[in-house]
Amino acid sequence: MVQPKTVALLNLSKEAAIVSLAYIGAFFATFEILMPAQNLLFPDFASRASLLFLPHGVRVLAAWLLGWRSVLTLLPGVVLVFVYVAGWGAFAPSRLAAIAVAVLVPAACFTLLRLLGRDLRPAADRAPCWLCLIGVGLVISILTSVLTNYAFGSAPKDYIAYLIGDFFGLFFLMLILMFVFRFLRHARS
Amino acid sequence: MIRDFENRMPEISKLTELRKLLLNMEQSMGLQDLSTVERDIYYAASDHRADNHVTGAVKTTVLQDHALLANVSRPTFFRALKSLQSKGYLEQCKNSVRGYYIVKIPAR
Repeated sequence: MVQPKTVALLNLSKEAAIVSLAYIGAFFATFEILMPAQNLLFPDFASRASLLFLPHGVRVLAAWLLGWRSVLTLLPGVVLVFVYVAGWGAFAPSRLAAIAVAVLVPAACFTLLRLLGRDLRPAADRAPCWLCLIGVGLVISILTSVLTNYAFGSAPKDYIAYLIGDFFGLFFLMLILMFVFRFLRHARS
Repeated sequence: MIRDFENRMPEISKLTELRKLLLNMEQSMGLQDLSTVERDIYYAASDHRADNHVTGAVKTTVLQDHALLANVSRPTFFRALKSLQSKGYLEQCKNSVRGYYIVKIPAR
């Protein structure tokens, strides 16, 4: 007979695999497809930040669905992405701080909102509110941008670029998922 | 804090919740053809389906008892139920007594 703790661990591992793969997939879609397009459209924009950062959408949706479990499920994906970009430099203090911000801030914001009396977690007695999620996503963007760029010692334009990228990344990820689900519905019917 | 790490939602429910969220987005953008009550009945039926995917059918009394439909009157509920059937979102269960419905994917 399988122990409950083993089942729980297996479920967590499965969630971590799904969420981290989604994060990595969103990262590559952003930097291999969207960034080249951004550089073509805005050649004078000197920041390395993406203006449509899809992984932020994965962070927000994971935190909404999983709560604090999202910290554990996002961590492998976020670390792998940092290692891909920076190699061993991913373990420098500033980057470790950025990793912590990326995985902790989304769940912390949903918890803070709940403590302030606005619980957005999925529940049977309330319909989900996508606009509310976008609003929380904006707050998460602001906090993440400020904390991450402070850790990196970035220029002011990077703060704005991160904020824009995170916000539009969440919105467009949800839009893409909405059309994917619609397509799947049409394909099945 | 440790309890916050416990998995309170089964896998299929997480997908259902994501689908409901995106359905909400569709409706706001005018891409959905459901009224608020119809949408809430569909959510309630989907929740039951997610919790009980072995049988797949949901009884009208179970729907009426759902928290989302607590303030919906009987006439409004049955009007919306009929509308959902005509739009293809729900189908009355044929191989059972009356009052059971199956969540469907509507053809367009």
